Amino acid sequence: MDWLEQELKNALARKDPPPDFAGRVLGGVGRRAPSPIWRHSRWLAAAAAVVVIMGGAAAYRQHQGIEAKEKVMLAFRIAAVKVNHIQAHIQEAAR
Amino acid sequence: MKGLSQLPSVTALENAPQTALDFAGLVHRHQAMVFSVCWHFLHDRSLADEVAQDVFFSLHRNLAAIESTEHATHWLRKVAVQRSIDESRRRNRRPQVSLADVAEPAAIAPARDPLLADILQRLVASLPESPRMVMILRYQEDLDPAEIAATLDMPVSTVKSHLQRSLALLREKLARRGVGVEKWTG
Repeated sequence: MDWLEQELKNALARKDPPPDFAGRVLGGVGRRAPSPIWRHSRWLAAAAAVVVIMGGAAAYRQHQGIEAKEKVMLAFRIAAVKVNHIQAHIQEAAR
Repeated sequence: MKGLSQLPSVTALENAPQTALDFAGLVHRHQAMVFSVCWHFLHDRSLADEVAQDVFFSLHRNLAAIESTEHATHWLRKVAVQRSIDESRRRNRRPQVSLADVAEPAAIAPARDPLLADILQRLVASLPESPRMVMILRYQEDLDPAEIAATLDMPVSTVKSHLQRSLALLREKLARRGVGVEKWTG
């Protein structure tokens, strides 16, 4: 190790942090640490949000299914009326 | 011997979770290492204090994953390095300049002059990110190139290249002004 490297070791030696550093870290940890209840409630909130979203999606899909079924039935009814009209016209024409 | 002011307060320990006693030990053991990595890299005492605290808060959140005191040392060093780099980028306080562009020391400092340490700190702090951190890990932490490479996730050859080039540039800068030459060459 030459003179420059020795000077660098001296210049870049570890430095002590302010005297109250460790106390501030430990105090900060005490304030920052979430309580187990809050940690659980966050999971519960996340789970509730997932259930609501999935339930909503299922309800929406069911609603779409009912609507589609009603449209098909209406189409059948309209088609039936038309067929009846055509049948009546054919019968009149046959007389 | 540590002064009373350096010990954590009773309230802080009472408020801390179950792991606080182990954690407190790690804080006391490694605070100088973490703070110094941040300080030498950022060259800003209050910012280094802030980042070093954040490193320990992060350790506390990840304490369950720490397997041994040796693991804690490596973990803290790596996180201190990464957080310092992130903070430097975020604040953009230190634009990337090559050492060749840095102003030379204004005064001739004789060897072992206390000013030389200050000049060297400023020259190292003016290096670009990667060589700066390589120099800090080499001369502050006394790590060998392989350990530095593992900490910084870079090839050993790159570490060696950064060291050689940085030393050559520093030597050139200092020699041009005759800093530290008389005593060591005499």
